[in-house]
Amino acid sequence: MIKNVNVFGYAGILSYIQALNINIIVSSIVTTFSKFSTEGKIGVLGIICVILMAVFAPVITLYPPQKITGDSLEAPGPAHILGTDELGMDIWSQICYGARMSLTIGLAVAFVSGFGGGAIGILAGYMGGHIDQGLMRTIDVTMALPSFPLLIVISAFLGPSILNVVLILILFSWAKPARIARSQTLAIKKNNYIIAAQNYGAKPFYVLWKHIFPEVMPVLFVLVIGISSHAIIAEAGLAFLGLGDPTSKSWGMMLNSATGFSSIYFTPYWQWWLLPPLFMLIFLLLCLAFISRDMERILDPKLKIKKGF
Amino acid sequence: MANDRNSFVFRLLLTLFVILVINFFLPRMMPGDPFSTTSADEVGEEIIVMTEEQRLYYMNYYGLDRPLHEQFLVYMKNLMTGDLGRSIYYKMPVSDVIILHLPWTMLIVLGSTVISTIFGVFLGTLSAKNRKKGSDRIMMTGMIAFAEIPSFLLGLILLLFFSAYLRLFPLAGAITSFADYSGPAEHTWDILYHAFLPIVTLSLSQLTGVYLLTRNTLITVTTKDYIRTARAKGLGEKTVWTRHALRNALLPVVTRAGFMIGIMMGGVVLVESVFSYPGIGMILRCAVVGRDYPLIQGILLVIAVSILICNLLVDKIYSKLDPRVAI
Repeated sequence: MIKNVNVFGYAGILSYIQALNINIIVSSIVTTFSKFSTEGKIGVLGIICVILMAVFAPVITLYPPQKITGDSLEAPGPAHILGTDELGMDIWSQICYGARMSLTIGLAVAFVSGFGGGAIGILAGYMGGHIDQGLMRTIDVTMALPSFPLLIVISAFLGPSILNVVLILILFSWAKPARIARSQTLAIKKNNYIIAAQNYGAKPFYVLWKHIFPEVMPVLFVLVIGISSHAIIAEAGLAFLGLGDPTSKSWGMMLNSATGFSSIYFTPYWQWWLLPPLFMLIFLLLCLAFISRDMERILDPKLKIKKGF
Repeated sequence: MANDRNSFVFRLLLTLFVILVINFFLPRMMPGDPFSTTSADEVGEEIIVMTEEQRLYYMNYYGLDRPLHEQFLVYMKNLMTGDLGRSIYYKMPVSDVIILHLPWTMLIVLGSTVISTIFGVFLGTLSAKNRKKGSDRIMMTGMIAFAEIPSFLLGLILLLFFSAYLRLFPLAGAITSFADYSGPAEHTWDILYHAFLPIVTLSLSQLTGVYLLTRNTLITVTTKDYIRTARAKGLGEKTVWTRHALRNALLPVVTRAGFMIGIMMGGVVLVESVFSYPGIGMILRCAVVGRDYPLIQGILLVIAVSILICNLLVDKIYSKLDPRVAI
């Protein structure tokens, strides 16, 4: 074995590992997908549909979303598939471009807070001591803060912009992944192979990157899905209250402008103005929920046993 | 244990302090000061441009030229005496505005806590009794999918279907405007009629939590030895479930109900805006639209404090109910 290493040389092994990694990643994606339940598969397909809608928005729509292209409040018809809003903008294009908004915010917040918070948690769990204690207190307070009311107040003061919304959402959602990553790290740290690696002279960074991070990663991934649906809800809620970016056309903004239109409920307009964004939001959230439930089930074999009794 | 308890209270106080600090510093972090710009509300009104002397005079008058820590102490002193400032939009003290609207919020939050607890326990028991059967699986999948819909979207659906499409329920408000009631019964009926959809929305959004909790604790409890003993004694199935199983399973549900109030206080803002229900959530939306900063801060404080109080109460009640915790 040792001879082999010498023959191959360091670079050879590295490239071999990398190739192996890619193969493992691809095959793990395939096997994970085959383990999904029917609901989970529906969820994955639904998300792919929404992503395609967002990516190919200019191709599948006839009009730009913020241009007046028809009469005010036109009913669905051949010219405008889903009709127009009060300014005469096409609703189908607003839905497609709005998907970009929701997905971007969801993914940005989830990845930054999920992996950033996870990294903080791993570091604190690994180092321990005062840093760990200080972090735990910060996490406790962050998790006890009433996040949505604070979100409203902060975005009211900072002014409506997408960057602000994303930053505030990150500020409120890093605590949970950090806490879970920390407890996972504490459990992994005590394993013999970690101690062995340390005794061989492995640097802290090497141990963290090679041993601990890959172990914590799957849990973080489930959390990231959860956070992204949370962020999408929060953005829609803020936009619905009128705290979104007025220049953007997100689904929450569409709900806001539709419900803000006086006497919308007494006219048939809500059928094509209010229902599409409502339906799309619920659809996206349900898909994310299905996926995260399935991932949880696959990653945690203990849950399966629990479900059995 | 006493140490644990102290740290719990300490954590709540720390959280409250953080909220106060955010509340205090947010407006002061904004560029400019209240006197750098003045506007004229009505046409023809002269726009007052302050000289540097006048500006300094007013800064001194409102205490804005003092060091920040002194300002913070004054702010805390005002809070302690219940002075939350004056609302710009309503032109009256913030505390009065909040007191005027808080009862409506309390009505729908407490109402839906009671309703979702009762129904959640009922459905959870039903599900636990029929576990391993098809009906349990269907119910569980349905409830879990249901829980993923955020409350304000659910409220919007209910509003569109029952109020806009079927026209069974009112579209907005908490009472019929300019109504002339013949008696207190009719008055109560009108209030309940208006509160019905908001309460249903909030209850539905909380139902799944109670349902899952009841179901899971019941399933755990029924594997315990004392249940087998009860059955072996020859007690009827009904007595075993109500006296032995449910009684023990309800403990976590009580705490859950307490936390639920806290969660709903946060979510009620959106639900009230959907139904234009005149609680503090609705005035928060108005305050945001009108940039009525003192009112926004006041409402945030009220919501935050009520959530913290709920958590504290839950902690106290739980140790009373379950003697094992207090040891």
